[in-house]
Amino acid sequence: MFGYWDALYFVLVFIVGLILAYLLELWARRSGMGTREIGDGTKIFLSGEDPEKVIPGFEHFEGHYTGRNIMWGLTYALKRFFTVLRREHTGLLTDYVSYLVITTAFVLGVLLIWG
Amino acid sequence: MNGEMLSYLIIVPLFGAFSMPIVSLAGRRARGAWALLISGTTLAVGSALFYSVWKSGGVFLYTLGAKSPLGQGVNFPIRIVWEVDLFGAIMVLMVTLVSFLAVLYSLSYMKHDTGLDKYYTLIIILELGMLGIAITGDLFNFYVFLEIMSIASYALVAFRNDTWEGIEAGIKYMFVGSIASSLILLGIALLYGEYGTLTMGYLAVKLTQNPTVVGKVALALFIAGLLFKSGASPVHMWLTDAHPAAPSSISAMLSGLVIKIGGIYALTRILFSIYENSVNMKAVGWIIIIFACITLIVGNTMAVIQTDMKRLLAYSSVGQIGYILLGLGIGLAAYGSQTGEIALAGAIYHTFNHALMKALLFLIAGAVIHQLGTRNLNELSGLAKTMPKTTFTFLIGAAAIIGMPPLNGFASKWLIYESSAVFNPLLGAIAIIGTAFCTAAYIRVLYTFFGRPSERAMEAKDPEGTMLWPIIILTVAIIVMGLFPWQISDKVMIPAAKALENQMAYVSALLGGA
Repeated sequence: MFGYWDALYFVLVFIVGLILAYLLELWARRSGMGTREIGDGTKIFLSGEDPEKVIPGFEHFEGHYTGRNIMWGLTYALKRFFTVLRREHTGLLTDYVSYLVITTAFVLGVLLIWG
Repeated sequence: MNGEMLSYLIIVPLFGAFSMPIVSLAGRRARGAWALLISGTTLAVGSALFYSVWKSGGVFLYTLGAKSPLGQGVNFPIRIVWEVDLFGAIMVLMVTLVSFLAVLYSLSYMKHDTGLDKYYTLIIILELGMLGIAITGDLFNFYVFLEIMSIASYALVAFRNDTWEGIEAGIKYMFVGSIASSLILLGIALLYGEYGTLTMGYLAVKLTQNPTVVGKVALALFIAGLLFKSGASPVHMWLTDAHPAAPSSISAMLSGLVIKIGGIYALTRILFSIYENSVNMKAVGWIIIIFACITLIVGNTMAVIQTDMKRLLAYSSVGQIGYILLGLGIGLAAYGSQTGEIALAGAIYHTFNHALMKALLFLIAGAVIHQLGTRNLNELSGLAKTMPKTTFTFLIGAAAIIGMPPLNGFASKWLIYESSAVFNPLLGAIAIIGTAFCTAAYIRVLYTFFGRPSERAMEAKDPEGTMLWPIIILTVAIIVMGLFPWQISDKVMIPAAKALENQMAYVSALLGGA
């Protein structure tokens, strides 16, 4: 039961993944930014980013922002969760100590009751 | 000779560290060569020890200052002992290997820094502390080595004192780390007061004969302190400050080794070799599992939203510690069953694998910072064009840490997934969700590396010489270990888990005076 793995499964999954990626690419090409075969129309929409686009006044950022928004969908969907997590990461030493004290108290409580 | 080998693991780095200031007088090259020679020799001793322990399948014992740990005319141990089973030997191999590569990498990476006599002294002391923890069979001796390791870590985090970041992170780490160490010391004091011994094997006997509330309070203090040291959530925040602030060679050791030895290994050793028969293993297991689930979700999700490459890697370390803790927790909660054994083997396996993977990723981050002078992911786009070797090795490291077959991370994560799914499907689902976030975080980095090159990236080039070799060695190790996952699992990791669970062998090696 444990530790069963066949390399062939991986090859199979990899091939299926490649086919899916190709189909996704075809789909994205069809329903992308435009209807043309050449020029901007062929660009695939990717989280609102256009690596070719240079914003006037922000030329120094050219080429710097690729990849930044690639997980935009995920982070947007979990915005609240991330907000809570960010809020807790204050960087304050007192908070670090508080969490250590809380952790110790929790472990001690559980061990004294069920340990 | 078997036991004596253990003493060389301490003598060699100790001699190397304290002779460093004298050797430094002979010049820069001599200093680097000396550090490399010392860590290389330690690696040779560590490898020989691992092979001997693995081949014999037993426990190696060394008593300091006498032939037998037992006192004259009495039948209980009174001396400090070093005791190594297969689990300890794996840790020794891991520490000596990654430390050697970090020293090798430092030769080029740190060449523009000053105060390198202190740097190499501290890096070897750090290795010494970790080795001491891995081999000791005495609880107070363990604390001494833990402090040696921790103090070297605090100093190395703040080594580059020209930036506020290193100093702030170092001070925070030192302050809160000392509190965690104090909890552990208090636990040791309680056990000594109650049972009158500090020898781990003998404490196990005393605790089994007479389990007390004091023993449980001491255990709670150990667990809390060591969860902190391992970077488990919610006491992980020091880690994501300290690890990115250190020089990358040190980050590789901190993330790759320190949190494993000072946290995971110590916790596992105390739980199995001391408390195995005297506490409710299920309750302890579930405590660890709860922290594991929080850790693997928080670590991996926070990695997704980082813009600092080294901070992303640090959060990823937190996430991976979650998997290791999950394996350990299930190993405890399902103690005595095949599921528990596999989970424990998975945890040990992932500890080793993660040390290689994270060391690789931090060394690559160092190479990137060396070239571009920034850790900001938004400014690293297009590195694949100008740093192809670096990007390829990063791709391998990232794929391994995500758990992509056929790399080494897959096998260890698979054991943890499988055992957690059998133990409790919800835990399996949480582990997979954690991996989904981990994948998202690394895809962001890879997408950046393969993106359109920025002006800055166009001037970068691959590292050479002593900076490149450690990266290549670690990449090859990851690939090769990935090709033989079940052989390693069956021949090394599962026997290590069995040795860990066999408290009787650990105790009888001590009392038999081997």
